[in-house]
Parts: sequence; structure tokens; C-alpha cells
Amino acid sequence: MVDHVFTILSIALIIPISLFLGVMYSFLIRKLSARFQWRVGPIVRMYGDLAPVIGSTRIWQPLYDILKLFGKDALIPSTAHKRLFTWSPYLSLFFSFAAVLFIPFPGLPLLSGTPYSLIIASYLLIASILFTILGPAASGSPWGAIGARREVELFLVAELSFVASLFVVAVTKGTLVISELAGFVGSIPMMLVTALAGITMFAAMLGKLHIKPFDMPEAECEIVAGPYTEYSGKLLGTYFLAKVFVLYNMVALFIAVFLPPLSSSVLWLPLYVVAALVLIFLLAVVHVLNPRYTIAKALMWYTKIIVPLVIVGFIAAFFLRVVA
Amino acid sequence: MGLIDRARIYSPWVYHLHCGGCNGCDIETLAALAPRFDVERFGIQLVASPRHADILLATGCVPKQFIPMVKRVYNQTPDPKVVVAIGGCACGGSLFYDEDPENYAILGSPDMLIPVDVYVPGCAPKPEQIINGVVQGILKLNEKATRRSK
Amino acid sequence: MSTHIKILKQVIQKYSSPMTLNYPSSIDKKRMYSQIPEGLRGFLERDEEKCVGCRACYMVCSGRATKIFDTADKRTVQVFHFRCTYCAHCEECCPEDAIKLTSKFELAVTDRNDPKAYVNTDLKMLSCKACNKPYLPEKMQKRVFERLSEKINPKVKGVVVEDYHKTEGFCPECKRVRGVLLDTHTKKHIWLEVV
Repeated sequence: MVDHVFTILSIALIIPISLFLGVMYSFLIRKLSARFQWRVGPIVRMYGDLAPVIGSTRIWQPLYDILKLFGKDALIPSTAHKRLFTWSPYLSLFFSFAAVLFIPFPGLPLLSGTPYSLIIASYLLIASILFTILGPAASGSPWGAIGARREVELFLVAELSFVASLFVVAVTKGTLVISELAGFVGSIPMMLVTALAGITMFAAMLGKLHIKPFDMPEAECEIVAGPYTEYSGKLLGTYFLAKVFVLYNMVALFIAVFLPPLSSSVLWLPLYVVAALVLIFLLAVVHVLNPRYTIAKALMWYTKIIVPLVIVGFIAAFFLRVVA
Repeated sequence: MGLIDRARIYSPWVYHLHCGGCNGCDIETLAALAPRFDVERFGIQLVASPRHADILLATGCVPKQFIPMVKRVYNQTPDPKVVVAIGGCACGGSLFYDEDPENYAILGSPDMLIPVDVYVPGCAPKPEQIINGVVQGILKLNEKATRRSK
Repeated sequence: MSTHIKILKQVIQKYSSPMTLNYPSSIDKKRMYSQIPEGLRGFLERDEEKCVGCRACYMVCSGRATKIFDTADKRTVQVFHFRCTYCAHCEECCPEDAIKLTSKFELAVTDRNDPKAYVNTDLKMLSCKACNKPYLPEKMQKRVFERLSEKINPKVKGVVVEDYHKTEGFCPECKRVRGVLLDTHTKKHIWLEVV
């Protein structure tokens, strides 16, 4: 009974925490990439003479964007499949939020102790991205269709390396429960395999979060806004909210899988934050330094470099398990 | 003032509606978005689809061939929205248009087709002036939204 | 990869000092507020004292921004900023040097008829003594006479000035009718010893 109450309480607590952290991460990516491009970016302390008119800070910029979209009209194109078009943003949000519950946060284990929670979390994340493909494909707009197609192509390779690198860790540690990953201390070759899986997981994150070399699904200068072209108002806001949760999920999952002790206890919270910031910093650096790949080049990059790496890791992990 | 009203002031998204003309104003508009003037400081962002936009930055005079497109982009923008006319052509027709003699190819300024809220004259306007115009547009946007909610 | 490292070096060098101007705010003195290049052509200003309403700027205006409205007692010279292209032709051709293009550029108005978008100069018009039609701004007539008396050959100056006063206050039409009164009328064959 006490356990259930604690779980419910922690679920109630994770909603604001995940929203806060997701918004913070997306703000940091925007701010850091702005500073790398020699500009200021969303301003942290507004100029004193302008503050009374346009607000004193822009730290909550991603949240303001979403809130503003909720205050606007939503247009539904006449060519769209109405039910699928209007429901997919909400389903995308639902699944990305559901994934939050299966990924532990320092001090809040949530549902990460349920059997097969690693598989559940990755499936929920995949489902969230699936609905960013289905909605635009139902919009009847050519730009939405092209964006959805690109998203599918990227999804195939990025998702493959994402899931495979999760399984490399699962095989080395011999468990599919996220909360049990922390208790396992492996030998040095196992750590090396885990580190390899970490690198491939990072590469998969780039594709899933549309970080710069792989942002062709929403390439603004080529295909209008890609999947989001026909979306407006609160439907678009819901998609953006889902994106915020996905960003939080990816970072939290990365830490939970590859640095498992950090999300096991409240005492690790400072280190957890540091690890998250380092990850965000790396994402921002990659975002700034790279041009956008064509879809063919991205596929080649994944299939020629990342997927073989994951397979090597997988074989090594399997070998280690069998030998040990 | 509610949270959504405040968010509306904090994150205006602009869509660049090029109605014709010589491209001078377009270059200056993009300069306003570039690192030197960086409007992202105030949450202003360039969006690619008119469906995401709050503010339409209309540049140039409208050729007669382009009339349906301008109307369509305006109708595709969800309410509340504001149109900011940038440059001499978009404000008054400038070199390309006059009532007399009538031009066979050019209709005139966009405010003959769609309601324009803020005028930013100049040939081409400096990026500072465009920022100034967009800020006026934001205030107008807020005004419109409160009028709509009543 | 080497290009990536090169870019990364530049990124790190400039990280703490972004090149963004401080534009709408003037509080931070460390960074530049705004960049106004030398010789920037901004909105024009007209010196109301100097302007005589000669229509020279109206004739050369490339954007047809300058308009002239004549009523019974005044001539309005108007520049509409919305149509102005800052070509500075009017500044070049103004005989009285009344027009100057300033470096001011900030203007965003919500209404076409906003007075900020116009530069108006009102001039008093003279009406013809005979037919009562307005024909010339008072200042312009004065200034034309001054210029005429400055430039003219001193030998014929007396006759011309006398003639000028004879038909002063008549519009060109009525002046033509009274042309026979003038000593300088071509039909009178007055021989002036012009060297």
C-alpha cells in the first residue's frame, strides 16, 4: 500500500520535473547553439529598459512557444483525414509522456522496476515518433507527406541503432529492467562494450531528436516545415510539447542506461544534472558544427558506420556473456 | 494578463511573405534575423509555414499574377495575426506603382488585398527599423487577441 | 573532420563575445547600440524657412513621393515617406538647399494617414490681381526677383526691374495680356547697347 502511494506521489511529482527539465534542455540547446553562432540567443536577463514591456527573462522560451500555440486557432485542411490528423498529436504526447514514467529520475524510481521496462520505454518512445509520422501523412499536404517519408527513412536506421545499442547493454548486464542496471558492476571489457554502445546510442539520439546533420525531416529551406507544415494552433503546440518530453526522455534514458548509478538515489542528483548538461552541450556542439545531410547520405552514414559498430558491440557482448 | 497572453508577446513567430519587388527588403529582413541583430533574443523566430506564424512580414509590391497567393497565405495564417508591411513598395507602391498611369502588371501595395497593421517604410529599411516594426506588430497582436477574447 | 575542428576553434574564440548589436536597448554601454554608417540616407527634412515651393523636387522625384497640392491661398509641398526611395535627387536639385537627407531611420506606423509619415511645407500663394487665380508662392516670386537682379547685366537692370514692378501680382496669363506695357517687349524694338 505504501509502495503504491509512493509511486502515485512520484508520478505526480515527475510531471512538473520532466516538463521543467525538458524545457530547460531545449532552451539550453537553443542558447548554446546561438552562442556558438556568435549571437546572443534567447536572452537570460532582459535589458533593463525593455523588461517592463516584453518580460524580464526568456529562459522559458520553449514553454512560451507552446503556450502561445495553445492560444491560437487550429486550422484543419479540407484534404486531411480528420480523425487521424487531430488525434495523432495527442497520442504522440501521450506516448512520450508515458515513457517518462518508465525512466528513473534520481530519488524517483517510478515504474522502472516493472519487468521489461527497458523494452516498454523504448517502445513508447518509438510509438511517440510513429505518431509524428502518421499525423502529417494524414494531412494531405505534399510537404507533410515528404516530411513524413523522410522521417520514416530516418526512423528506420536511427531506431535500429537505438534499440540495438540498448540491447547491447541489456545483454552485457543480463537484464531488461532499467532499475536493475544500476546494481550490476561488470569487468573492464564489459565497460568498453557499454561505452561503445553509448557512442552508438548518442548517434541514434541525433537522428531521433533531429539534431543538425539529421534534421532533414523538418528542413525549413527545402520542404516548408516538413511533418508540421499543416499543423497549427494547439495541435502544433501538442507536438512541440511531445518533443520536449522526448528530449527529456532521451537524456534521462541515456543516463539511466549508460550511467545507471546516477539515477538511483537523490544523493546523485547534482551529478545527474552535470551529466545531463554535458550531454546537452555535446548535442548543441554537434548541432552547430554540422550541415544538413541529404537523406541518402544520412542513411549511408548510419548503415555504414553506426549499424556495423552496434553489430560489433552486440557480438562482443554476446561473446562476453557466453564466456563469462 | 493571463499566461497565454503573456506568452503571445514573448514568442512572436514571423513568416516572410515575399509579394514581389526587387528583393532588397528581403535581404534586410534576413539580416534582421541574422547574428548581427539576432531577433531570437526576444523570442522572434522565422517559421517556414504560414500556419505557424503570428506575424506576416510582407515585402514588395504585388504583381497581378501573385494576387491569389497573397490572399491564400493570409487566409492560411491562424488568428490572431498581424501583417507588417516592410519597405516602400509594400507601404505605398514606391517606384513600381502609381494610380496614374496604371501599371499593366502590378496591382500595388499588399494593403489593397489584405489588412496591413504596421507600416515600415524605407527603401530598403534598415534591420533596426524592421525590428522596431515587428515590436509594434507584437503590441498590435496583443491588442487584437484581447479584443477577440472579449 | 579538420574543417569541423577549424570551425570549433572559431566558435570557442568568440563564445564569450557575441557580435550582436544591442539594438532596442541603449542601457549596455559595452556593446554597440546600433550601426549607422557614414552617409546613410534616411528620412528627408525640409527647411521650411528656405523652401520656396519651386516644384524642382517634384519634377525629379523618382518614387513619386513628392506631391504638390495648390489651394486658393496656399501651396503644400508634401513628401510621403512610404513612397520615398531615398535617392536624394531632390537634395541634389534643390536650388535653395532646403532639403537635407538626415540619418534618422526609425519609423513604424500603424496608419497610412499618420502625420509622422509625411513631411509637409505650407507656402502662402499669391492670387492674380486681375483674375484672382492663385499662381505662385509669395516666397518664390521674391526669391526669383532677387536672383534675377543679382545675375542680370547691370546695363539693362534698370529697365528690367521697372518692367517687373509694372506687372507684379499678375498671373502668367494676365501678364501676357499686359505684355505690351513693358519696355522690354520684343515688338518695341528697344535697342539697348549691350556689349
